[in-house]
Amino acid sequence: MFVLPCSTGQRLAASTLRSGTTHQWQALRITSLQHQWSTPIPHARSLQTEATQVSHVPFRKQLKDEAKRKRDAQRLDAVRGNTQDTCKNSNDSSSKKWKLTVGLEVHAQLNTERKLFSDAMTSEDCAPNAHVAVFDLAFPGTQPEFQKATLLPALRAALSLDCEIRQRSQFDRKHYYYQDQPAGYQITQYYSPFAVSGNVHVYDHDGIAPEDGRIVNLAIKQIQMEQDTAKSNLQPPSTTLLDFNRVGHPLIEIITHPQIHHPQTAAACVRKIQSILQAVNAVTKGMELGGLRADVNVSVSPQGSEALGQRTEIKNLNSFKAVEHAITAERDRQIAILESGGSIEGETRGWTLGSTETEKLRGKEGEVDYRYMPDPDIAPLIIGQDLIDHIDRTLPKRPDEIIANLMTVCELTMKDAKSLMSLDNGERLDYFDTVRTMWASEKNDPISAPRLSKIVGNWVLHELGGLLNAANVPFSPTIVPPRSMVSILQNLDAKKITGSTAKKLLAMSFDGDERNVNTIIDQANLGLRHLSREEYIMMAQALLDKDPKKVEQIQKGKQLGKLKFFVGQMMRQGSGTIEAQKAEAVLKELLGLK
Amino acid sequence: MSLLRRAETCFANQQVNKLLNAFVCPRDEGTLISEHTSNLRDADKRRDRGTSIKESLGKAYLIALIGTPKSAIDGCLIAVKDNICTSEEPTTCASAILKGFHSPYPATVVEKLKHAGALIAGKTNLDEFGMGYTQDGGSLSAGGSSGGSAVAVATGQCDAALGTDTGGSVRLPAAYTGIIGFKPSYGMVSRWGIVAYANSLDTIGILAKDSSMARNIFDAVEGFDSRDPTSIPVSTRSRIAQQLLERKAKQGWGDTPSVRIGVPREYNTAELQPEVRRAWLETLQGLRNQGHTIHMLSLATTKMALSAYYVIAPAEASSNLAKYDGVRYGNKNSASERADNVLFASTRGAGLGEEVKRRILLGSYSLSAAAIDNYFKTAQKVRRLVQRDFNNAFALSHPLLKRQDGSGSEPKVDVILTPTAQSLPPRHSSLKNKASIDSYSVDFLTVPASLAGIPALSLPVSIAGQDGIDQNAPTSVGIQVIAQYGDEEMVFAMARSIESLRDIKQLS
Repeated sequence: MFVLPCSTGQRLAASTLRSGTTHQWQALRITSLQHQWSTPIPHARSLQTEATQVSHVPFRKQLKDEAKRKRDAQRLDAVRGNTQDTCKNSNDSSSKKWKLTVGLEVHAQLNTERKLFSDAMTSEDCAPNAHVAVFDLAFPGTQPEFQKATLLPALRAALSLDCEIRQRSQFDRKHYYYQDQPAGYQITQYYSPFAVSGNVHVYDHDGIAPEDGRIVNLAIKQIQMEQDTAKSNLQPPSTTLLDFNRVGHPLIEIITHPQIHHPQTAAACVRKIQSILQAVNAVTKGMELGGLRADVNVSVSPQGSEALGQRTEIKNLNSFKAVEHAITAERDRQIAILESGGSIEGETRGWTLGSTETEKLRGKEGEVDYRYMPDPDIAPLIIGQDLIDHIDRTLPKRPDEIIANLMTVCELTMKDAKSLMSLDNGERLDYFDTVRTMWASEKNDPISAPRLSKIVGNWVLHELGGLLNAANVPFSPTIVPPRSMVSILQNLDAKKITGSTAKKLLAMSFDGDERNVNTIIDQANLGLRHLSREEYIMMAQALLDKDPKKVEQIQKGKQLGKLKFFVGQMMRQGSGTIEAQKAEAVLKELLGLK
Repeated sequence: MSLLRRAETCFANQQVNKLLNAFVCPRDEGTLISEHTSNLRDADKRRDRGTSIKESLGKAYLIALIGTPKSAIDGCLIAVKDNICTSEEPTTCASAILKGFHSPYPATVVEKLKHAGALIAGKTNLDEFGMGYTQDGGSLSAGGSSGGSAVAVATGQCDAALGTDTGGSVRLPAAYTGIIGFKPSYGMVSRWGIVAYANSLDTIGILAKDSSMARNIFDAVEGFDSRDPTSIPVSTRSRIAQQLLERKAKQGWGDTPSVRIGVPREYNTAELQPEVRRAWLETLQGLRNQGHTIHMLSLATTKMALSAYYVIAPAEASSNLAKYDGVRYGNKNSASERADNVLFASTRGAGLGEEVKRRILLGSYSLSAAAIDNYFKTAQKVRRLVQRDFNNAFALSHPLLKRQDGSGSEPKVDVILTPTAQSLPPRHSSLKNKASIDSYSVDFLTVPASLAGIPALSLPVSIAGQDGIDQNAPTSVGIQVIAQYGDEEMVFAMARSIESLRDIKQLS
């Protein structure tokens, strides 16, 4: 390991450097090798445990944000309805006169074993500079060696975004100076990217702005492969340490057409792109862990005008919230300038979380001329149609397909389907599937399958989810073994136990009780003893007699909610032998209610 | 003479010629002797045993014991241009920005030389990063940029040397110093470990006293290298070999089959010095006498080639040299950053020389958004035309290209013969007053073969001296032999034919 202080050049020991070992020249013709590619695609390698803990946060947060947004909107409507708040409306009417247009550039780190142009491993959690080949450090005399396997996740990404794959593409050098860019240029695909003309559908349930209606079709202009940079580690006041593990890590840059008109929709689009890339296992990790970054192009133009206004670019946004807020702030800034008679400068701007305004990074006069040049060392990339076909055939299901399946086949609500899909890196969904199929195959009754799936969905998501939240532990498919879950639900569905017993059994299994569920039911005598109708009536009458005041409230005051009180009393007294519906029916009968 | 004795002569010559500045870090005789003597003795033993074993078959065990010579260059002392990475010595490209830089790995060609038993004589001087022509060759310029390698060979400081050739950097100094300078087809010799000047043009070059030595070194260093993405793969190499065998079968297996020699009109420029033109004509005459046939032909794009080269090479150089920022290796300027706060500007400003800066600026401009269509892209188109011109001239088809027959009327030739430079080596004093742009035109005759990526060799043809007037007057002119891509065979065959003319002359 070596850490390079930026301030001094330093001789590197040869032992810390590795040069390429396997190389191939000529047009890099890559064809499908059935035996090689047909093995199941592994889950994202890195950060498995960490990712599990963190990756569901944005989704919960999203639900929360959505709820908050609804509340705010209602409140705002209420305010508007009561008082003609002109001050509040001025800004609003301004934005009605102007049309916002946004285009996205999303950079995503591909899930690959090796770097794009050297056979050094990709790794970020290793010691600094542990995985660096001489080429990665731009040593004189070194040459790139395209790692063919990096193309696979790139193709999965492009196909999952409905792109057209170009059989011939090439790599170009994009020149600029920075200490995290060892060669003085980044190798990217400028003149001829490998994928073009894609499309992503973003729905209302994906969180687009209400004004956009049910769906936004966002067209993707192109996707290119390129190198990541090194990581700078600032050590104030004057030292910068450089970690070159990340340098040369393959990225894709997804460039959309400027077709987004609301900040909220822009954030939803980025989130949707991320969820698609994760679903097809193309990327290492999400935005919250630095696996994705977005640049946005923002312009405003008068409503009804065809031409777009002068755009500015906001670089390096690293959360969905940042995307939304930065666009909002930049839109308002541009409108304010235009309304006061000014004009917008084409410039690059930055935005930091928590600020209210974007800040200028460099103006047009400071704009870098990247002097794109085809890399003379790298042969054109030729991608065989057979490889494209194979990747397309074996592409994992995309989020929209999964959600559609969950809603139609399993009869889950949209909200539950989305939760199930996005929780725990897909592990919750796998667990759901395991439990569902186990139960269905034992039941062997295709007609009841959707009903069972719905029950499983409810228990896996809400009952188990509640226990996980209360205990504050991450999900794992072994906490409640699928076998136990199936047994509990089978007993419940057969009315052999009550709902509350089922919950109790789930909690026991969750807490580590490894006994067979049926054994526990027998040993603890939890089975539902069917009381006779007479016994129900006796118990109910006794309770009603004890509390004439409530009876009167129910009968005369029509406070039917109080009925639940008596149902609860019966349940408690019967300790696991009372079925709530029967109890309620008997109570109603005795009270003369229909 | 034993290899050891021959090497000792070289070491002595290194001391005598120190003022010529051929080596970046000249070492004294004692150091050289102690470093190389035991290796040289082993090589001598291998050579002796190799000979004696051939004489007395049956002593196979001796081969196992001592071995036969590792190759034809076993025990040869070979100098290496200082833009080729070696692990023992620093690799500086004669630039302040890389002063003291030790490469963590050696170039493939250096590994291959060592594997063949050759010894590295030292690192030779060059124009910074291979850009320029100003090597000191005494009162006459040795040309560049592999001038250090050329001088070292010409003055007997080593048996041969490696240089690099981007637009003529090996052929021109060879012509000026009266030795052989050979540039193979692009992709035949690995560039892994060669500090890039212009990747699409750079090749390893070989400098030697005669063509058989150059050939032996080429045989030792050529071959596919997986670390060089532009290295020609094994399958293509065997396709080329097959093509050459078929031609040989057609020509017949005689010692000197009659060869069709092309003479391009465009190379007979008005600027050609009379001595050069005379040597060219005499050589053609001699070859015709040997039974070869001469054919005039036209390479129409020759005049555009130089301009295209001076767009493409600086463009690639501006990109390749962007890495020298003093961050990871090399030297960082200790002065604080400049007032305008441009990143790395003071380091690059202090570490890079004038000619290098000039070419970086030139290249940066021709790649800029406003100029790229007019310059870089146009130059690439010219490059295609130059390639097509050559391709249409040769009888052998290009193994990597589809033939695009432009004109069927022109005769097809096996080899093209031209002068290497338009003039005799200029005097050193005259160079100092020359604008750098003027000096670019010395590449006029060498650049086309570089753009086309085809093999070319310069060899000396002696000119009649004006008796005793000037001891320092040049005694030879460089003649350039150019052949189809992959046809190194033809280049060396023609070189031997021309060398035999010289031998005849000397005998008569």
